[in-house]
Amino acid sequence: MKSTLPGSAQLRSELVRKIEVCELELPVLPDIASRVLALCQDQDGDPRQLGELIQRDPALAGNVLRIANSAAYAPREPIVSLQQAVSRLGMTTMGDLAIAASVNGKSTSIKGREKEMRVLRTHAAATGVWSREVARQRRRNVEAAFLTGLLHDIGRAIVLRTVIDLARDATVEESVLQGLVDEFHASVGSRLVERWKLPHWISAAIDGHHDITRAAEHSDLAATVMLGDELAHWSESPDAEHDAALRALPILGVLGIYPEDLDELLARRELVEKTTKAFA
Amino acid sequence: MNAVPEHFDFVVLGGGPAGHKAAVQGAKAGKRVLLVEREARIGGECVHRGTIPSKTLRESAVYFAGLRKRAANLAPQGVGRQVLVTSLMQRLESVEQAHERYLENQLVRNHVELRQSRAAFVSPSEVELVDVNGGKARVTGDTIVIATGSRPRAPSDVPIDHERVLDSDSILSMIYLPQSLIVMGAGVIASEFATIFQSLGVQVVMVDKGERPLGFLDPEISDRFVSRFERDGGRYIGGVKHESVTNDLITGVTVKLSDGRTLNAERALVALGRTASVRGLNLGAAGLAVNDRGFITVDVNGQTATPHIYAVGDVVGPPALATSSMDQGRRAVRHALGLENHVATTTIPVGVYTIPEIASVGLTETEAVKRHGRAVVGRARFDEIARGHINGETDGLLKLVCDPEGRQILGAHVIGEGATELVHLAQIAMIAGLEVETFVDNIFNFPTLAEAYRVAALDVVGHRMHLRAVG
Repeated sequence: MKSTLPGSAQLRSELVRKIEVCELELPVLPDIASRVLALCQDQDGDPRQLGELIQRDPALAGNVLRIANSAAYAPREPIVSLQQAVSRLGMTTMGDLAIAASVNGKSTSIKGREKEMRVLRTHAAATGVWSREVARQRRRNVEAAFLTGLLHDIGRAIVLRTVIDLARDATVEESVLQGLVDEFHASVGSRLVERWKLPHWISAAIDGHHDITRAAEHSDLAATVMLGDELAHWSESPDAEHDAALRALPILGVLGIYPEDLDELLARRELVEKTTKAFA
Repeated sequence: MNAVPEHFDFVVLGGGPAGHKAAVQGAKAGKRVLLVEREARIGGECVHRGTIPSKTLRESAVYFAGLRKRAANLAPQGVGRQVLVTSLMQRLESVEQAHERYLENQLVRNHVELRQSRAAFVSPSEVELVDVNGGKARVTGDTIVIATGSRPRAPSDVPIDHERVLDSDSILSMIYLPQSLIVMGAGVIASEFATIFQSLGVQVVMVDKGERPLGFLDPEISDRFVSRFERDGGRYIGGVKHESVTNDLITGVTVKLSDGRTLNAERALVALGRTASVRGLNLGAAGLAVNDRGFITVDVNGQTATPHIYAVGDVVGPPALATSSMDQGRRAVRHALGLENHVATTTIPVGVYTIPEIASVGLTETEAVKRHGRAVVGRARFDEIARGHINGETDGLLKLVCDPEGRQILGAHVIGEGATELVHLAQIAMIAGLEVETFVDNIFNFPTLAEAYRVAALDVVGHRMHLRAVG
């Protein structure tokens, strides 16, 4: 694409201004997702209620049935009802699904960039699943890693949409566009999940998934997601060059992951891909 | 890899309490010391996964339990499932960082070289170091100290997935409090977590093959622990083994027991002991092996079967306490340097950070009777102590175990808040050889829980007089 107006510096300063004065259009967490999340965390929440709630949202209901029947959960017989699906997947997974549905919904759809957004969603799911495996490898609880991995790049679509809107009819160099997305997606994503009232550690770790010092006391989780992110990229093309780059990552030192630990992780690729396919 | 291995006077493997103190001790003697730590941060399990994180969570649980006790009508029965576990461990990072900084400063000040690597013996004096990116280097040491710590034991028939079936490391990174928890095991870690989560409103069941939890304690103390645990809503099932552990997404974790019972809970904690972290160390090349309990065998100075190699801390097995590990680290290096070591103390107190705390030093009543034929025992219940009433800690107990003449203190056992501090009075009395009258003849502050010593000592004196009267 050829750039004329506005200039990249102008775009950047306008984007920074919008972020600073909270003028970004942040999508709301879909009502159904917040209610599913609340029910999953409710001490008295029962699976039957959850099934009924999901039924009200055809898109989420379809997603749930698809995932329950996917290779990741390998049902012996096809699952045909939501009640069966909820029983099969459990309350915690339902909470994850509600978040996944949000990632797959309006928050990551941009007209004219459907393919890019699809890639982004697949990468988000892959990062969630890989982050979960990194946590498991290090004997850390896996739930936090999955959720944060799933949401780590949620800011990309928002920055992209904002910059496209700012440019109005003018064309913008793709490199300029991606540069701005790379620079601001972590902090914008962090703001979004804060607005969704998700736990603070998720927003902190998202903010720090390229620079773990930004995650303060949640740097361990941010480091886990940073490696999950890298593994998701590796998984797309696991060639020798990518493999060597992966083994040289400084984040391995932070996480205390040695070559033999990494080998054990990489051996889980097939399983990870099966689960990713279900969530993406 | 370096063609000629770099040489050090001391190579210390592991940067937890034992390794850290060993390294500093060596450096203080002017020796060239290398400390090898596999993690990015020093401090070991104690700082990052064990003692400090669990005690931080415990503080919240104690606060909540106290609130419930003092204002039963106002406080809710649990903190609620929506509460994030991390929010109950606030200040953890700052506590960890402060402690880590202190440890690092000590290393820097004493010129200890620190490397993040994994180590493997190539020969008794040579160690290969592999860094996280696969870079290799070899080092040799006149003395090598193994202080690689321990990790939770993972029985092959228990599917620990760190999601629903957790170990003592992963349970601390759980997001939300579960509604119910099965604790498999009844040792220190199991008992501490069982009471912490119960105090936070989680329904907890402890299961173990032992008839009573904390089997090393005086039975009177562990019985009191169980009755308090059960009175507060927990359950202890002893004398059973797990037949199977399954993990179903909707029903949670199911544990089938050897007596035919089936337990079900949202989460399970597997705390069935710890095992030495020696994976990849290639102990065979150093002429060493682990014993039948999975630990490295050492003498009183930490010396292994290969004389210039020492092992200290959790890697040698119980007591596996941070304080005893530090002492072992210093002791091993002093021995290697040919310096005199103080006589190894046998009066190391044991502190169990359950709710309420438990502490013990010296012989139990059973051990004293076995060794001396008879023991004179004095008790002080905290409901006899003014401070116990003020604190709402009336169900505590202090038990003094004395020799058959009722004069020398052989052991002290305490259950109740403040127990881990209280026990030190008995420890010092035992080390100094003070007679039990010391607690009768001297005056303590009022009102304090330390008064329990005076009450227990008077009880001992009373029993002694009775024994004398009956001949």
